[in-house]
Amino acid sequence: MRTGRSLRLVAPLALAAIAATACGSSSSGGSGNGGGSGSGSEPTFTIAYQGPLSGGNQQLGLNMSYAVKLAINQANAGTTFGTLPFKLAFAQEDDQGSSTAAPAAVAKILQISNLIAVVGPAFSGATAASEPAYSKADVATVSPSATDPTLATSGWHNFFRVVADDDAQGPADAQYMAKTAGLKKVYVIDDASTYGAGLAKAFVGAASGDGLTVVKHDTAPGTTQCQAGSGNVQQYGPLAQKVKQSGADSVFYAGYYCDFALLAKQLRSAGFTGQLVSDDGSNDPHYVSSAGASVANGTLLSCACQETITSPGFKAFAPQFKSLAGFASGTYSAEAYDATNAIIDAMKSLGANPTKAGVISALHSPGFSYQGISKTVKFAANGNYAGSAVYMYKVENGTIKELGLIGASS
Amino acid sequence: MCLSQHFSTYLVQGLANGFLYALIALGYTLVYGVLQLINFAHSEVFMAGGFGGVLVANHVTHGQPHGFMSVLIVVAGLLGGGIVGAATAFVLERVAYRPLRRRNAPKLAYLISAIGASFFLQTMAGKEFGRNGYDIAPAYTNGTVFTIFGAQVQTIDLVFAGAGIAMMLLLDRIVAKTRLGQGIRAVAQDADTAGLMGVNIDRVIAVTFILGGLLGGAAGYLFGTLNGVSYTMGTVPGIKAFTAAVLGGIGNIRGAVLGGLLLGVVESLAISCINTDWTDVISFIVLVLVLLVRPTGLLGERLGRSA
Amino acid sequence: MSAASAPVAVRRPGLLASPHLKRLLTCLMVGVVLALLTGKSGSNQHPASGITGTFKSANAYVWIAAGAVLWAAITGWQWRGVAVAETYRGLSARPRAVWAMRPVRYPSYAVLLLAAIIVPNWLNGFWQEVLVGQIAPYVLLAIGLNVVVGFAGLLDLGYIAFYAVGAYSAAYWTNQLPAHPPFTVNVFWAFPLAVVAAMLAGVILGAPTLRLRGDYLAIVTLGFGEIIQLVAANSKSVTNGSEGVAPNSVPNFSFHALGIHYTWPLEVLPGGHMPWYYLILGIIVVVVILFHLLENSRVGRAWVAIREDEVAAEACGINPLKYKVMAFAIGASTSGLAGVFFASKTGVFDPSSFPFQQSVVVLVLVIFGGMGSLPGAIIGAAVLQYLPQLLRSHIQQPDLYAYYGVILIAMMIFRPQGVWPSRRRAREIAQAEAGVGGADALGAPGAAP
Repeated sequence: MRTGRSLRLVAPLALAAIAATACGSSSSGGSGNGGGSGSGSEPTFTIAYQGPLSGGNQQLGLNMSYAVKLAINQANAGTTFGTLPFKLAFAQEDDQGSSTAAPAAVAKILQISNLIAVVGPAFSGATAASEPAYSKADVATVSPSATDPTLATSGWHNFFRVVADDDAQGPADAQYMAKTAGLKKVYVIDDASTYGAGLAKAFVGAASGDGLTVVKHDTAPGTTQCQAGSGNVQQYGPLAQKVKQSGADSVFYAGYYCDFALLAKQLRSAGFTGQLVSDDGSNDPHYVSSAGASVANGTLLSCACQETITSPGFKAFAPQFKSLAGFASGTYSAEAYDATNAIIDAMKSLGANPTKAGVISALHSPGFSYQGISKTVKFAANGNYAGSAVYMYKVENGTIKELGLIGASS
Repeated sequence: MCLSQHFSTYLVQGLANGFLYALIALGYTLVYGVLQLINFAHSEVFMAGGFGGVLVANHVTHGQPHGFMSVLIVVAGLLGGGIVGAATAFVLERVAYRPLRRRNAPKLAYLISAIGASFFLQTMAGKEFGRNGYDIAPAYTNGTVFTIFGAQVQTIDLVFAGAGIAMMLLLDRIVAKTRLGQGIRAVAQDADTAGLMGVNIDRVIAVTFILGGLLGGAAGYLFGTLNGVSYTMGTVPGIKAFTAAVLGGIGNIRGAVLGGLLLGVVESLAISCINTDWTDVISFIVLVLVLLVRPTGLLGERLGRSA
Repeated sequence: MSAASAPVAVRRPGLLASPHLKRLLTCLMVGVVLALLTGKSGSNQHPASGITGTFKSANAYVWIAAGAVLWAAITGWQWRGVAVAETYRGLSARPRAVWAMRPVRYPSYAVLLLAAIIVPNWLNGFWQEVLVGQIAPYVLLAIGLNVVVGFAGLLDLGYIAFYAVGAYSAAYWTNQLPAHPPFTVNVFWAFPLAVVAAMLAGVILGAPTLRLRGDYLAIVTLGFGEIIQLVAANSKSVTNGSEGVAPNSVPNFSFHALGIHYTWPLEVLPGGHMPWYYLILGIIVVVVILFHLLENSRVGRAWVAIREDEVAAEACGINPLKYKVMAFAIGASTSGLAGVFFASKTGVFDPSSFPFQQSVVVLVLVIFGGMGSLPGAIIGAAVLQYLPQLLRSHIQQPDLYAYYGVILIAMMIFRPQGVWPSRRRAREIAQAEAGVGGADALGAPGAAP
């Protein structure tokens, strides 16, 4: 009785919901089949991109997604691989870079009936939550940007990445600081994110071996100012004093550019004159613009990515990217482009009817090598990029300049 | 050991942060005084003030200002932040609270409505203005002005303290001396009786929100000059300021100021002693302990009585 | 209207105070808000582009027109109000009477349950994942929070902390954390262990804080939620800090007894999710039955008494603190159950998987469905977790929080009892608004509302 009145309100709602779900499922299945057989003799395969396409990390996601799209367009036009015996289609799904939103995005991608492989997931947490389903479905995933070392050791046969992981980046940074920059005492700060904490651990582990003393390893949670965390931005003032008084000649920050800029400003304002060093999360023009050039100048930023690339391939890529996307290519654009082309290259080797499992084994085959615009893409047995590709950058006159490849090969 | 070393440096840092907390805390305290209600959305009023500050300050700043120009820009920024904050608070009261008050809704409803308003304002700011931070063009050249007991006091610390003290004194005088303040105190003491005595309760409540919004919005600008402005900037300072308000005795204007300064100093000293990541835990524990041991705060909680 | 009929009576305050005009402005404002919500997003490079873009598109004016139509509908409705209300009452009386008959009601529940068992089999992999990953766990969370907010009338803003306790318990007892348990158990045993852990956490938090005034309680629970998250992030030697639980570590549910060996598979093939779905459906059914019995038990009546008048309840010999702590602990343990399921299903999480926003999302589900109403909590969770996935390609996920905000405010203003209210709760709210009794346990003990 007490529910009678609202039953009338809710019942249509529920009916509509069921109807919508049914319609949604039937239409998506239908379009997938149509795509597969639509173009007559040539079969069509979809390469999907999974990454953050909304929210605070949207730009990073767009940097990658347009590069994937460009690679697919070029392959279809026959400019990169010649005439292919199949057509390619592009799809993308937003996982917000979070492990909780990822499973639904994965399920959505796996609904694509002619899916062949995935570029992504972009973030480490999302990758960890996505791989169980992808590996069961035998879908190769080539991430342009997930750097958590544990991803390669979790036993996923379908996992690949075209970037060096944090275990390569942290030690390379430590070595560069000690050997090349001649620094002695470093104050390590991480931002309490999965990424920052892991990188800082790898850095600290390698530092003493290189003769670099870690004065202190502190954790300053990424602040709500930067959407990355839950921390209080007011912490940076006192923290900067603490760094100054520790007698360190350098600071290594493991985290993202937004918080690093706030910290850098406070450090300079507190009178700290030592060397600032950070990672690929901070390797972003926004770091310079929000810290101000006077603070940012001289900062060393490492990255497992190559941005201002001098290869002829990149010189051709940059204007094409810009005309497709409407903005200049940025962090991880080149890596996403290479990841997509590596997949297409693997498909090409399989002839007219590549399969999902076939792509995985083609990428795994020891002879696989693709000359990309950022690096020669080759994979180790666990899916990691084979070789080291950590680059050092320096802020000079308000712009980020590449210094070159650093660190020994892994 | 950690406390003895460079104690004064951390004290100065803490006080500068504390003035910000205090300005925001006043918004919580004023509203609580008249409505016995935690204005959960006050953190977003602060955020809106930050955006107002960006708009005004970046519009009037050209190049690197000096001297009197710097003062003018800071005042313009404070006004810009304050006005946008006040407008947000006014609309907030109109949309999220007044309909509930009309209906004499249970207290739970106010809290839920306030949380809803907070979520809406924050997300919409991110949607409309982008989800990366904005920077406020510097209004003055920051540098060490003088050194006291080994602590360097910088221009920015003085600006925070100066703006904070000026606004708090103004508020204190308004509440203590003016007719408006009389109305606020009357409603705080007993809304029903005040209504019978001819006080326009709706108007007093609206004005209270506007006053709180002015201070919160101005604090948003000050905060923005140091840290930049982003749509998520309100959350943590909001909780901290609420802690400060409770610490001093919510509903008590001087208590809010005391609580804010105290919390700023405690946090700053905590960072000097322990790992930075535990400081937020400490301030939450302070909050819980104060609520448990002395829920009325350090100075007691009635706006009507002690202002 | 009155202003137009007699020019002498035109006074500006009178015009503005006209309820029709006020309502028109409100409706138009709702239209504008909806237009902005669904409109273009701005960016840091072009901060005004979101707003200008919104009002350059026809969509915005459709929304504003919809606001005007809404106003016309309401006004028309009021004009013929009596007749319409009569018709409505006449129409709805019959189904209500039918629903009241137990021979009808209980078979209906059986049919609904049967539908819940069979229908998902026809869904595709995506919707099954949504069901198992997004809807079912939140139904469980909403049912649990409903005990705290709905039954006991307390506002808990740190509810997701208990979810975290459940998830970390599962990781601990299956030996996936740096801190090792005395013995390793099958994930199934993590359910009771996590319930105990979450319940303990609820009691430890609740016992001292539930004596506080209700609005302070909201803040303390919020603070507690943050503390749990921060402690999980900082205690590297116990929880592995912010790096979280390693990928693929918490094992999937498996059953090894009576000669049966079965592991819950994790596949997004059609049907791959059904074992997970049946598991959580079973949990939900059991919890719903338990809570239904609880609601109508001595404890449930005590909660009603405390909600409506704490002083009177205390005078009748009810210990409010005891029952409040009980509600808190029961809610917490439900959240812990959901946490175990989440941990085993996702296999990977870190402290940032449990943000404050999630606590509010669960609160939105309960408020939307109807505080204190079990079917309401289920419907609220199902509908509000389902719609964002349906509108996936139309709504950017981060914008969802703005919609949640609007829902909270709108529900509080227009329908505080929720879409599927509990009759008792609806009456309490109406009474409280009329100045008789309370509708929550938030007032200071003994204070007038």
